[in-house]
Amino acid sequence: MNAASPILELRGVHKRYGVGGGLMARRRTLTAVAGVSLRVERGEVLGLVGESGCGKSTLARMILGLEAPSEGEVLLDGRPIASLGRLERGRLVQPVFQDPYSSLNPRRDVASIIGLPLIVHGVGTVAERRDAVAEMLGLVGLAPRHAEAFPSQLSGGQRQRVAIARALVLRPTLVVCDEPTSALDVSVQAQILNLLLDLKERLGLSYLFISHNLAVVHMLAGRVAAMYLGRVVEEGEAGRVLGAPQHPYTAALLASALTPDPSLGLPAMRLGTVFPNPLALPSGCAFHPRCPAVFERCAREAPALLPCPGGGRAACHLTGQDQHQAA
Amino acid sequence: MSGAGDIVLDVQNLEVDIPTPGGMLHAVRGVSLTARRGETLCIVGESGCGKSLTSLALMGLLPAIAARRAERLSFAGEDLLRAPASRLRALRGDRMAMIFQDPMTCLNPSLTIGDQLTETFLRHGKGNRRSARDRAVALLERVGIAGAAGRLGQYPHQLSGGLRQRVVIAMALMCGPDLLLADEPTTALDATIQLGILQLLAELQREMRMALVLVTHDLGIVARIADRVAVMYAGEVVEEGSAAVVFDAPRHPYTRGLMDCIPQPGRTPPGTRLGTIPGLVPSLVGDMQGCAFRGRCPHAMPACTEPVAVRGDAEGHAWRCVLPENALERAA
Ligand SMILES: Nc1ncnc2c1ncn2[C@@H]1O[C@H](COP(=O)(O)OP(=O)(O)OP(=O)(O)O)[C@@H](O)[C@H]1O
Ligand SMILES: Nc1ncnc2c1ncn2[C@@H]1O[C@H](COP(=O)(O)OP(=O)(O)OP(=O)(O)O)[C@@H](O)[C@H]1O
Ligand code: SF4
Ligand SMILES: [Mg+2]
Ligand SMILES: [Mg+2]
Repeated sequence: MNAASPILELRGVHKRYGVGGGLMARRRTLTAVAGVSLRVERGEVLGLVGESGCGKSTLARMILGLEAPSEGEVLLDGRPIASLGRLERGRLVQPVFQDPYSSLNPRRDVASIIGLPLIVHGVGTVAERRDAVAEMLGLVGLAPRHAEAFPSQLSGGQRQRVAIARALVLRPTLVVCDEPTSALDVSVQAQILNLLLDLKERLGLSYLFISHNLAVVHMLAGRVAAMYLGRVVEEGEAGRVLGAPQHPYTAALLASALTPDPSLGLPAMRLGTVFPNPLALPSGCAFHPRCPAVFERCAREAPALLPCPGGGRAACHLTGQDQHQAA
Repeated sequence: MSGAGDIVLDVQNLEVDIPTPGGMLHAVRGVSLTARRGETLCIVGESGCGKSLTSLALMGLLPAIAARRAERLSFAGEDLLRAPASRLRALRGDRMAMIFQDPMTCLNPSLTIGDQLTETFLRHGKGNRRSARDRAVALLERVGIAGAAGRLGQYPHQLSGGLRQRVVIAMALMCGPDLLLADEPTTALDATIQLGILQLLAELQREMRMALVLVTHDLGIVARIADRVAVMYAGEVVEEGSAAVVFDAPRHPYTRGLMDCIPQPGRTPPGTRLGTIPGLVPSLVGDMQGCAFRGRCPHAMPACTEPVAVRGDAEGHAWRCVLPENALERAA
């Protein structure tokens, strides 16, 4: 354990896929992640928001070691992920995915789903493993009788509790949550969010929390990063990013969020309708074809992710100036 | 305003039963709904309360083991209960379309998205291959997929969750339906794309006076687009009314509980715990006595074990609860 280094550090991470190559089409390169550098400190929740298809899940898979970056480095606890053994990696980082239905093996009961990571990694004796599973059940608010249930006999919220218990049984330091509540209804979502907050406090966990729901991110995250087309376009303390966004995309994201106020209709879309295409990244700033504040420099030159007023970083040529706030 | 001729969908007392090893599951229990041209009806409610089965029953697409009964089920005045299967097939995908909750259930993993988009259009004789392809590209662009022509050759597994969802939306719109049943159509999308799609649906409603029945658990969407809201619990509609009334003056304790579960930016400080609705949904197997919500209701009383009648007011607000009308009002 290396107390000085962040639990997660990404350095210039890229991921490219080859796509197409049918009869007529030539094979092309799709850039899913285009140079992401981020840190998650111990005990911190980093909220990750962004465009659908901007590479959040791809980033999550690389952090979990399920895919290797095409370029750049993923460091867990200060060490390159490729240098870690499976057990070491499993003890540092675990996932909770969106879909509590397909992520659990339907043919195993709850106890063996939760205990499986211990068996795979040869942790503890049979009795110790049984105790660990019982403890996890209690921790995530499931009754001892649920140990023998199969996923099909559980509600969506109970299944997501099982997925969380499975993620925590190896006592990881970092949990990567990829839209952990978007498949759940609001009353169950509230229970799972409360549970994640409790577990973070009790176990000192760090989360990378991916979500489209800004209200949820606001409730959980201390810091927020916003991605657009494979890049981080803004990052900083949650109150600052969500309260006074500096990047026009983050501002648009916030303006598009639908708060439950029936006296309001749909907000007018302020973005251009040229939607992002990772097969043909725009020149200059990747957001320029949709940006309400675009000016001639944007198509020519890509803005760097630089410190911005109020703290954090933003990648926009207008950062620090006021113009785009009015847009 | 709107007359009876505007009613696109009219269902009365819909029931869906599914045999299970533990007994007959009464998944949908007496649901009545109407949707008019140009109107948006939102259906909300806890997971498992029967929203998807209701939509599937309306489309005649229930799984084979499920049994459907209704007093009335009509589409644009046409009786669907007695319509032959061939007529239903002709209507589906053409005049009435559905967006399924799980995009993968309506995408064939071994066909390109281009082939899948054009298939319905061609099957309903809407045009030739060329016009089908043009329409597919145009719709993909409208749901916000850039370089759509280049995407036509991709297979579903090569798309992100959000892209798949938008392909499915485009597919449902290929023939320009009169009624669109959309089951959680934007859950996997970021706010800007979600907004774009909701605006597109709203536009199509204006252009073609399409009726939209939207199933969602996102109360933010409901608040912003619904003309009417139906709140379902354990297979029943427990409250129905205009969005303003259901949000601001709910009469059913379940609706009130739902409103308290949602984080409100600005009003829910970071780290606060949300309200929850303790307890579990009752089993839908066998007969149910009294109010289905009473096991979890903070206001339950002896009268709740008796059958609960639907009450309502002249403005079309209806609810199924025995409490006095002002019981849930809150000091502002
Ligand atoms: N195996 C793959 N082959 C080719 N392209 C892929 C593959 N996996 C992902 N992509 C592409 O990479 C991009 C990023 O996908 P990713 O799933 O990471 O997005 P996301 O930000 O998680 O989106 P969403 O919010 O919709 O879940 C998308 O354009 C997607 O189509
Ligand atoms: N094929 C099936 N066999 C047995 N039971 C089923 C089947 N399909 C649905 N059910 C049950 O019927 C009830 C209603 O299901 P439905 O899918 O309509 O719920 P829903 O309101 O759409 O929930 P969600 O918000 O999770 O999508 C649930 O209790 C479900 O478990
Ligand atoms: S750099 Fe230009 S195009 Fe990019 S976001 Fe800023 S203003 Fe818009
Ligand atoms: Mg994703
Ligand atoms: Mg459903």
